[in-house]
Order: sequence, then C-alpha cells, then structure tokens
Amino acid sequence: MKFVFFHLMPYPWLPDDFDEKYPSPALTFPNTYFDREVGNRLYHRYLDELEHAERLGFDGIAVNEHHQTAYGLMPSPNIMAAALARRTERAQIMVLGNAIGIRGNPLRVAEEIAMLDHLSDGRIVSGFVRGIGWEYFAHSVNPTRSRDRFNEAHDLIIKAWTADELFQWTSPNYEYRYVNLWPRPLQTPHPPIYIPGSGSTETMKWVAKHRYTYMSVYAPTRVVGRWFDGYRRAAAELGYVPAPDKIAFSVPIYVAETDEQAHREARQHVEWVFHKGLKRNRELSFPPGFLTQSSLRGLLMAGMKAHHELTYQELLAEGYVVVGSPDSVTARLRELHEELGFGQIIGLFVLGGMTHEQATTSMELFASQVMPALRPLGVADQVAGVS
Amino acid sequence: MTSVAGDAGTHDKNGVVESYLDFPGGRVHVLAGGAGAPVLFLHGASGAGRWHEFHGRLAERFEVFAPDLPGFGGSDELAAVEDMDDLLYHCLDLIDRLGLDRPHVVGASFGGWLAAELAVRAPHAIGSLVLLGPVGLRLPAHPVADLFRMTPGQRAAALFHDVSKAAVLFSAEPGIDATLAAYRDLTAFARFAWSPFMNNPKLERRLPRITAPTRVVWASDDAVVPIAHGHRYAELIPRAELTVTPDCGHAMCFERPRESAEAVAAFLVAGAALNGAVR
Repeated sequence: MKFVFFHLMPYPWLPDDFDEKYPSPALTFPNTYFDREVGNRLYHRYLDELEHAERLGFDGIAVNEHHQTAYGLMPSPNIMAAALARRTERAQIMVLGNAIGIRGNPLRVAEEIAMLDHLSDGRIVSGFVRGIGWEYFAHSVNPTRSRDRFNEAHDLIIKAWTADELFQWTSPNYEYRYVNLWPRPLQTPHPPIYIPGSGSTETMKWVAKHRYTYMSVYAPTRVVGRWFDGYRRAAAELGYVPAPDKIAFSVPIYVAETDEQAHREARQHVEWVFHKGLKRNRELSFPPGFLTQSSLRGLLMAGMKAHHELTYQELLAEGYVVVGSPDSVTARLRELHEELGFGQIIGLFVLGGMTHEQATTSMELFASQVMPALRPLGVADQVAGVS
Repeated sequence: MTSVAGDAGTHDKNGVVESYLDFPGGRVHVLAGGAGAPVLFLHGASGAGRWHEFHGRLAERFEVFAPDLPGFGGSDELAAVEDMDDLLYHCLDLIDRLGLDRPHVVGASFGGWLAAELAVRAPHAIGSLVLLGPVGLRLPAHPVADLFRMTPGQRAAALFHDVSKAAVLFSAEPGIDATLAAYRDLTAFARFAWSPFMNNPKLERRLPRITAPTRVVWASDDAVVPIAHGHRYAELIPRAELTVTPDCGHAMCFERPRESAEAVAAFLVAGAALNGAVR
C-alpha cells in the first residue's frame, strides 16, 4: 500500500450566517472574508504540514487546483509544488491535478511540470482534471467545450513531453506553430499521470487505455466500488490487469487516541468539508454541457444526496470518511480495501478548521500505527482475490 | 407550402405542421402554421420544440415558421454549428430550405440576438425585423443576468414578472426526462452564449447596416436584460422604434403571449405593406 498526504488548503473561517446566506464558498462568496494576515499564515502552516508528511513516511504529498473559493486556496498547484520541491527530498510531489480543461494555454502546463520534474529530481506526479463546474464560470471557459479541451490539452502535453523533434499542433481548440519544449521532463517518457474519475464510463476506458492511475473522488463506497470495477473491467477488455497502485482511493481521515476522542474532535471539521466546503447547487457543479446526457441521467438515477445534505453518521457509514482510534481506522481501511481493491490511499488529513496540532497528531498516529499495519496490503498477490 | 408542408410534414388538429429538415450531421425540427406573409420566429433559450400560445396568435395573421435551433428542442446538435457565426449561416440556409423569400424575422431574447445578426449579415434577405428583448450587445455598464448560475426556481423568478405564469416553462417537480431536456436546451444555449457572454462585441458597430424596418420590444419589468440594451438597439438600427410591453418580465412571449403577438403583428402588417415581404 502506498500512502499519499493530500492537502486542500482550505480557508475555514466562514461567517456565522454562511449557511443561510451563501449557496457556496465558491465563485461569488465575497473575498473580503479572506483575511490577508490569516491567509498568509495559513499558506506557511499548510506547506509545513506537507513537508512534515514526508518526514513521517508518506510516499507522496499532494496538492490540487481550485479557483475563487474558500474550499481550497491553490489556484496554481504548480506554485505549491515548486515551494515543496526543494524543501523535500524523498516523497513524490503529486499535482492532482492541473485543471487543463480551463487553461487558456495548456502548453504552459507542459512547461511547468517539466520544470518541476527537474526541481524535484524526478519526483513529480502529474494529475490532470477538468476542474469543478464553477471554475468554468470563474475563468469564463465554455463548459460545452470542456471535454474536448481536456482531451486536446492532454494529447498536446504528452506529445510535447515526448516528441524528439519540433512539431506543429492543430486541434479545434488549440493551435501552436512551434512546439519544442525546453526543458524536457527528467522522468522518461514523462511523469506518471493520475486521473480522477467520478463515474464516467468514457473516462474509465480512457484511463485504462493509457494505463494511468485512476483515483476516486469523495463518494459512497458502493459507488466508488462501481467506478473501480469499471476501470478494472476496461483494463480487462484491453487484456491486462492493472497493478494495484494504479487504483487510488481518496478519503478524509482523522485519527486520535480513542474512538470517542476522534469523533468528538473530528466531527465539526468533517462537517465543514462536506456542509460548507463542498456546498453548492447543481448549477455550479454541472454547468451546461459539462456532463453528457447519459452521465447526467446516471447521476439523477443514482439519487445520490448532495455532499452538504449528508449527516456525519451517513458520511461515516457510507465510507465517505474514516475517523477513529488507530485500531479502528486500520480496521475500517482494511475493510474498504477488501471491498474496493486499491493500492494507494490518498488521505485528506487537514479538515476544515482543525488546528495544526490536531492535524499533526492525527497524521503522526496514522503514520506510526496505521501505515505499518496496512503497508502489506494492496500489492499484486493480494488484490487478485478482490478484482 | 414547399419543403415543410411536403410529404414529411404531419398536421395536428390546430393545423400546425411538424416536419424535419435534413442538414449535415442531423435533423432540424420545424413547426409551422397559419397563413399570410411568412414569419420566421427564432426562439430564446427556453421553450423550443413546442407550439405555444404566442405562435398560435401570430399564426392568425401570418404563416409562422418556428424551427428549433441546433441542439434545442427537437433538433439535433449539428457539430458544424458551434458559434453565433455558424448559427447565422445556418439560419440563412434554413430560410432557403423553407423556401422563404424575404420573410419577416421575429426573435426573442437569444433568438433576437440571432435575428439582429442575420439582418446585419444579409440585410436584403429579410422583410421586417422584430426583436423581443434581445441579448447580443456588450454593454458593460448594463450587465445581463447570469441565467446559467441560477437554479430553475431562480431562473423562473428572473424571467417572469408574475412568477405564477412561469409554469408554462418550469414545472414545479420536473422528472428526470424534463431535467435532461432542460439541461440539453441550456447546453445548446451555452454553446453560443457562454463566452463572450450573451454578446458579440462587434454587433453594436454593425447594426447601422440593417435596412429592414425594425421594431424593438422590451418588457417593462425585464430583470434579465436591462432596457438600456433596447435603447442602444433602437438608437443604432436605422429608423428603429422601441416599444414597451407593460407589466411583463423578460419571457415576454410566455408571460404576455397575446400582447406580445399583437405588438409583433401590428408592426408587421404595416411593415409588410412598406416592404413587400413575399414567399
């Protein structure tokens, strides 16, 4: 099992009337609630936590991209990765990922990731995402072109990293007369690619075709199970069995000495993530054309509750989050591994407004007691029985 | 009737003819009815695919053609029609395919923008022009409301002055199919109107090209497109006039179908005599 420490870098201090007054912490939530001094200290604290995760033995430290939201303060994940690159030595630095669907100039992503690969001495993992719906509002990118832009940008970036000679790129959304990347990335043929999936069959097939790592987003276990099975099935149709670490399970985690203490301390912060951080209406999640008709039909038929409608008990019971003593968390993740089959855990440890001390205690308990117990899971011979 | 009323068309009890025209990449759904000078009606973001009271009232005096634009209502999404520029050429083709010669063109909201683009590009291909609360202009001091960001309930409240009349477009408890159909219409709308947002920055300086007699109609209580847009249209289109429909929201054809049809018809009757639109 591989362990990734993922940070969202939330700005947790929302006004008391947030629930009544604001449909979301994203897009139109006033930035006057961003206190410059507090925000400044948060960036340094959060980067410290990512660096600390490496010292604790996490295999990867991960950042992501969000725009115009208190949910996460990383409009540019590549800047965060750069800040980490020369302050760490061993862990993979995972950008999960660049939202290439909304980038005006995807060639810039190829350039920046290639630079990061050198700054990190080949430790970069490059995730690609379409971005969340509201970000198409935030950057005035037409969501009806999202899928095409993502696919074209991906193809361009991979070719830019791997081509041995200058080429010209022409696709419906991008035209470059001269692509001739300096620097080329350090890793060959290029940094590993991670792609999040949220149910689209086309995405499963596409990720399997490219043999990329498929990662889940926050959803109930039964749903994540369908996604992972779909990915394995897509790989099987292509005639191969994906290595266990090609499947990554994303989950918020909180560990304390006892179950009672863990729940007492975690609850309000777990609720922050789902009830405030992820609060948004369907229009902000799925602007027009962001989903195909069949994906939207699947979503409506599944009848899943919105994140902000789930109670703490539901979040625990349905496998959205894992909270408890080291033994309970170990047992629960073992159970989820049995059910889902995965070779990487992408844990979110800094939840809502928890203090640095709470976060580091939770991380340390996880690293010292949970990781050793789970380490042997998720290697090739163990997963065979699951898939 | 020519291609529309041909063998492919089916009549309903009100004499409305439904037909499909083949285009590269798919079919276009057309509803037509009435008799008189031809009117091409270009729908707004909502309400495509159906023959509404507004159409019926206009059809009492004119032969009304109501195509669904690509991706809306019963029309396929045509891959080759991806922005406003493509869309206006599509409409010129549509006029030919329907066998119309200098039809009156009436457009509502998004369709009003399209109608103005048509009149700019091909001033001599249309008879009179009626724009019902059109978007299309870039007036930064008078922003158009962001319908894309609104929930269906908020959208209904923004489009109608009297929201109790919104049921014609918004069902209180839409089923999955209705939700999918609304998302499909909104997707088609976004293809053309997401960015630049509901405008063509070049349209304003081109409006003086329009030669058709033009009436611009605005709703007194339009909460989506400020009336400043109406004044600007009327100011830049030669000899255009602006009239206001009282006690009405942006969705004029649905909130006040009788008055809106009357505002259109009164102008076209006069315009037809002046302009001689024929089939």
